[in-house]
Amino acid sequence: MTPAIETSGLVKTFGPVRALDGLDLSVGSGEIHGFLGPNGAGKSTTIRILLGLMRATAGRATLLGGDPWSDATALHRRLAYVPGDVELWPNLTGGEAIDLLGRLRGGIDAGRRDELIAAFQLNPTKKGRTYSKGNRQKVALVAAFASDVELLILDEPTSGLDPLMEAVFQEIVAGLKDAGRTVLLSSHILAQVEKLADRVSIIRQGRIVQAGTLAELRHLTRTIVEAETAAPVTGLPALPGVHDATASGARVRFSVDAEHLDAAVKHLGAFGIRALTSHPPTLEELMLRHYGNERHYGNEGHYGDGAAA
Amino acid sequence: MSATMTRGGALTGTGILLGLALRRDRIKLPAWTLIIALFVPYFATVAARTNPTPEALRRTMDMMDVPMLRLFTGPSYGTGDLTVQRYLIAVYFVEFLLGAALMNILLIARHTRAEEQSGRAELIRAAVVGRHAPLTAALLLSVITTAVLAGLMTVTAIGAGLPAGSALLFAVATAATGLVFAGVTAVSVQLTEHARAAAGIAGGVLGVVWVIRGAGAVQDTEGGGLTWLSPLGWSQLTRVLADERWWPLGLSAALTAVLVTAAYALAARRDLGAGVVATRSGPASAPGWLRSPAALSLRLQRSSILWWSGSLVAGGLVFGALAGSMRDGLATDFLDAGPDVLSGYLSLMVVGMSFIVGIFAILAVTRLRTEEVRGRIAPLLTTPTSRWAWLGSSLLVTAAAAVTLLALSGLALGAGAALSLGDGGYVGELTGAVLARAPEILLLLAITLALYGFAPRAVAVAWAVLAYGGFVRFWATDLPAALKALSLFDHIPRMPIEGFTPTPLVTLTVLAAGVTLLGLYGFRRRDLDG
Repeated sequence: MTPAIETSGLVKTFGPVRALDGLDLSVGSGEIHGFLGPNGAGKSTTIRILLGLMRATAGRATLLGGDPWSDATALHRRLAYVPGDVELWPNLTGGEAIDLLGRLRGGIDAGRRDELIAAFQLNPTKKGRTYSKGNRQKVALVAAFASDVELLILDEPTSGLDPLMEAVFQEIVAGLKDAGRTVLLSSHILAQVEKLADRVSIIRQGRIVQAGTLAELRHLTRTIVEAETAAPVTGLPALPGVHDATASGARVRFSVDAEHLDAAVKHLGAFGIRALTSHPPTLEELMLRHYGNERHYGNEGHYGDGAAA
Repeated sequence: MSATMTRGGALTGTGILLGLALRRDRIKLPAWTLIIALFVPYFATVAARTNPTPEALRRTMDMMDVPMLRLFTGPSYGTGDLTVQRYLIAVYFVEFLLGAALMNILLIARHTRAEEQSGRAELIRAAVVGRHAPLTAALLLSVITTAVLAGLMTVTAIGAGLPAGSALLFAVATAATGLVFAGVTAVSVQLTEHARAAAGIAGGVLGVVWVIRGAGAVQDTEGGGLTWLSPLGWSQLTRVLADERWWPLGLSAALTAVLVTAAYALAARRDLGAGVVATRSGPASAPGWLRSPAALSLRLQRSSILWWSGSLVAGGLVFGALAGSMRDGLATDFLDAGPDVLSGYLSLMVVGMSFIVGIFAILAVTRLRTEEVRGRIAPLLTTPTSRWAWLGSSLLVTAAAAVTLLALSGLALGAGAALSLGDGGYVGELTGAVLARAPEILLLLAITLALYGFAPRAVAVAWAVLAYGGFVRFWATDLPAALKALSLFDHIPRMPIEGFTPTPLVTLTVLAAGVTLLGLYGFRRRDLDG
């Protein structure tokens, strides 16, 4: 299947700053693709290039088989975009903005529009300047979801939404997936991406540092094992691929590289296993391995969501 | 809660907030006060230089003593025994009053409503800060700043040769008007939820009382009954450098007290962030015609276009009506009009109207830049709307609006002139004369657009183009031809004093079209900001 989005060696510089530094991103047709990275990694710059709002300094980008810069108008018939920080016209109501954007995109399904407004509990009669952040976000989401397009580019689309609305959002995106639409979902709400995404690309300092299905990514990382044994476990730290082993009495906890899991569990068996739990790494743990020493995510309120998932 | 706690509470934190405001405006307010005060010696020097002899000063003053010019300067006192200082007060007093009023309008709006609108006031008010502390701090800041202004002006006025007592009266009268408008703005910020609208209301009040004062000066050189209805008039009615009196400033003080009391009363009745006038809800869906970038552009500019139309029509009627007093008034050389004073005056008004529409054109493009930086055009350009379509249709709407504004101001000017002169022929003649200037506005618009397309951060350079045109047109008529030719506004004949010639109109229109295409091309190839 031809990819919906394909970039190779994408570079964008702003004066001395190299915002994108050879970015290779591939999004298959019909997939929900999570686009993850800390603030300032280049997510929005990538998206702005894909939308033809900016021109890449070097490299190639293909969107739905066309060039995002020179074929912008034709391509925009087939996509919808939700920015992470929606600005509305101060003296147009939310309903007017939704209709306008829908009409400019070639028509709006009035029934679907009203359904979405109801689902998101949006009051469409308020003026743009009086909406809160979350409500401005809802306006852009309704406008995007009400139009019948192949590709949705969502740049941190749910910032400012409460958990109930977040659930509505996930339900709608899951519906889009069933309808065969492609979604590029830039986010740092890890729980959202884990729930929705087929594949994930992790961006750091303008490059994709990891890409694949969640299963593939997890395979690259460690499984957490907790066990209670009849006799205290010894010799665990010496095993290949075992990390961060801690023991208190009959309980041990450690993480182990995927290819050494088998050996580690066999080792435990010798001490008489009474209880054993293991869980694959969460996306949060994946991200921490990439950014752990930078603490980029330390400030993000959403981070806890990932741990809970 | 005990009564003492409640009473002390409303003003708690005022001192800290005042300190914060002084810290935030530590450059802005010294600059405002210093610049206003320095205009005293500046105007005095200009008056002395351009009128080197008492006879020249006398001649200029007599020339200015016509209703049309008294509308802008008057009332004036003691001009029978004329000195440079009396001339200074007679001609320029109003400018100082406007400066002090504007300074206070912006100051109060900035420190009260703008803070609420941005949400910063919420942060402040959640701390140990009383309900009325922010307004009180802003008013105290205004009192301090205005007092500093009065002090500086006293010094500069003494430097310009006024006796100390008169200098003080002049400065305090200016300050009194400033404080009245601090009061006006303290009320207007309670009414609307938006700082800009609040400043606009106060500015509108300033405009109205300016006209009332002027109308009084038209009635009588020393101020007619109408002058007594204007706070600007009260300051002038102190008769500085004539038989001076302080008591009219009592009216200013009383009005300020009433306004400030009203502001506190209104503030106590409303919630933080809300206005007294509640925001109305609008339609849940867009009207059928709102389906193209041009329709959006018209929708966004609609109220601005209406305001401009109203102001230009009002201005045109007034200036046209004053043509009647022109026939017997103004000296011929003042307008550089040759023998025909009336045509000279009317052609000057025609040119003036086109400059005002030029301001509209530049502001309209500056607005596009704001839309871009705020991130409001990215959602449009990610629909099938192309950059050409978006910018092109915004431009078309602005161009059509500018031409309409020209036509309306020409009609109003003509109607005013026709009424006062009793000759209906002026309507067509002046409408044609203003409309003939459309190509220079279109070229100005095109240049602004090209700046926006290629160097969006430099859009403000367009103001220099307009200012240079005004400078050449009104003040530097003796410049070498090559420098004059650089101005956009020196090619189309000044009708009715000059005859119609089509060539410059065609040339400027073709140039405008070319520069527009260039601007569109530039916008198409650059990155979008915001």
